[in-house]
Amino acid sequence: MHIPDGYLSPQTCAVATVVMVPVWGTAARKVRETIKRREVPLLALAAAYSFLVMMLNVPIPDGTTAHAVGAVLIAILLGPWAAVIAVSVALLIQALFFGDGGVLSFGANAFNMAFVMPFVGYGVYRLISQRVPLASGRRVLAAGLGAYAGLNAAALCAAVEFGIQPDLFASADGTPLYAPFHLTQTIPAMALAHLTVAGGVEAALTAGVIAYLQRANLPVLRINRAARPPAATMPGGGPELEPAVAGRASWKWAAAGIGLLALLTPLGLLASGGAFGEDAPGELNLGRYGLNAVPEGLNRYNGFWSHTLLGGYGFGDGQNATVGYLLSAVVGIVVIVAAVFLIAMLARVLSRSRAGGRGRPDIPITAGGAS
Amino acid sequence: MISMDRPASRAETDHGTGDAPTGVSRAAPEWLVRPQVGLCPCGCIGRRSRAGFLARTIDGLADVTRQAVFADEIGSRAGLLQRLDPRTKLLGLVVLLVTASFVHQVVLLAALYLLSLVLAAASAVPIGGFLKRVWLTIPLFTAFVVLPATTNLITPGEVVVPLGTWFGHPVGLTLQGLTGAVLLVSRVAVSVSLALLVTVTTSWPRLLEALRSLRIPRMFVTVGAMAYRYVFVLVEVVTDRYTARVARTVRRERAKAGRSFVVASAGALFGRAHQLSGEVHDAMIARGYVGECRTLDPPSFQLADATAAAGLVLIVVSVLLAGRALAG
Repeated sequence: MHIPDGYLSPQTCAVATVVMVPVWGTAARKVRETIKRREVPLLALAAAYSFLVMMLNVPIPDGTTAHAVGAVLIAILLGPWAAVIAVSVALLIQALFFGDGGVLSFGANAFNMAFVMPFVGYGVYRLISQRVPLASGRRVLAAGLGAYAGLNAAALCAAVEFGIQPDLFASADGTPLYAPFHLTQTIPAMALAHLTVAGGVEAALTAGVIAYLQRANLPVLRINRAARPPAATMPGGGPELEPAVAGRASWKWAAAGIGLLALLTPLGLLASGGAFGEDAPGELNLGRYGLNAVPEGLNRYNGFWSHTLLGGYGFGDGQNATVGYLLSAVVGIVVIVAAVFLIAMLARVLSRSRAGGRGRPDIPITAGGAS
Repeated sequence: MISMDRPASRAETDHGTGDAPTGVSRAAPEWLVRPQVGLCPCGCIGRRSRAGFLARTIDGLADVTRQAVFADEIGSRAGLLQRLDPRTKLLGLVVLLVTASFVHQVVLLAALYLLSLVLAAASAVPIGGFLKRVWLTIPLFTAFVVLPATTNLITPGEVVVPLGTWFGHPVGLTLQGLTGAVLLVSRVAVSVSLALLVTVTTSWPRLLEALRSLRIPRMFVTVGAMAYRYVFVLVEVVTDRYTARVARTVRRERAKAGRSFVVASAGALFGRAHQLSGEVHDAMIARGYVGECRTLDPPSFQLADATAAAGLVLIVVSVLLAGRALAG
């Protein structure tokens, strides 16, 4: 997945680097806050570890070997922001010293493997592991699934970066100037390789290492404070002081994910043709699917509602198509958010009135209340 | 005061490549610096041979040391690029890479490639090894990958070599596809050659100094310097572990047992790395570390650098002008 120089246009590399600069800055700040002065040796060793993990060949059933990236593993062990720095430094050493991955494309490689991969993987890990004990088997499963998701997200980003090249950067006669494959080819190709072999290897390595550390070196799993469950009050062992993680953290994740999706939406403009039967039944190429008539229901309900404000994702007069499209997108997002918000409010009001009806006392339950 | 030169240069001495007395040949044995044939150096595609995973990992780890020795040997020779300030080289590399990616004529890319060969010869880099090291890796892999894109199935255009029909559609190689493929492979070759030239003629501590003077935050540079040094420590840890495993393995390893060995190795390695980071931190504190690292001999910009920069500007401007003239 290391993209060498020459595959991506300088514009793509510049955009990826510009995106990564604030990420690196935030990572440095966050890590300094959490790890304090030990950050430098810990991150250095983590970077060296990341470099080494990429070199460990894992035997796979067909008799050959493959290797993992390990970004999600480091995110689980040290937190996602530390993983951003560790994997970036490992990629920098690979690019500048060993010639793996390009110098100009360093930003793109870091975006895929040092940013998207640890964050997606860690998000999935936290979602599944919730607050179960550190030695729980669910954490092993969560680590495996997180690694699988993280690697595939990174591969998808790489596929998109490759795939937009021929459509955005081609000479007047259609000669592709950089990577020549289109999105319709790069996404299936990368998905096939990473959903099967590479994803499996990544999941097996990450889950295996977490299971090993649970058996052999549990204290190491406590380094990443945010992922630690609140210590159960056990006889003999006092409860550990644990800063309560606010429930709002998950809102931030959801908002970031939805924001990313919204920003990626205009990618659809690159595709040729329209969605299947979106505009009018007459545009369907039915012969291709072995059909010889438009389904009756489709004909009956086509165009039964024509009082739209922004018909065809644009203004009624068809002027300023791009502005109309963007405006439609923003209006759509606002309307959907408002609708979801209203439904959530309604649900809350309903559940509150029901709880009140049962006469449940409104007393907060505290853990270990008697002191 | 702690110098960031030290950890990295110690890494080199640990592997027997430190400063040799003058007059003694520093040449590494040929078998050690021989490049290996591989399709993708990162190993994600192409290098999936059926050799055992233990042997392959040990081989890969040895390759890390091999490359460091190779770079160290070339870097200590007297040559054009070795004389230049690392900042000049790094900025020059980026400028040339950007130029190469804006150039859309094969002739000009060939000229840039020729420039890299001239620079290699002037910097005492053995041309045969240089050619092999560049071409047998990423450009070869790129040439394989790009083959399907030369047909009209992926790159539509003027068919120059008809290949027959596929599901009733005529299939052939298109002029656009072939031009695009040659452009991509030659640009990749130019980029890999230029980057390799800079890396083999500049030691890692010097490269990091250059990065620091380019306003990269200090923490990243320090982490980079230490990480490079500890890559070699961890390489040794893993090599020992794997060699011990090879020594006590009689028959071919089963994949499942192999996997559990790999994950246990990765887990144990993390424990080791974490323990080491604590020890290193204590050692740094004991030597007066207050959150900042200093360098012993800062790089200096000299006449040779000014000349090189002027030459570079001349080359870039003439390449871009020639590109414009050829395009229209």
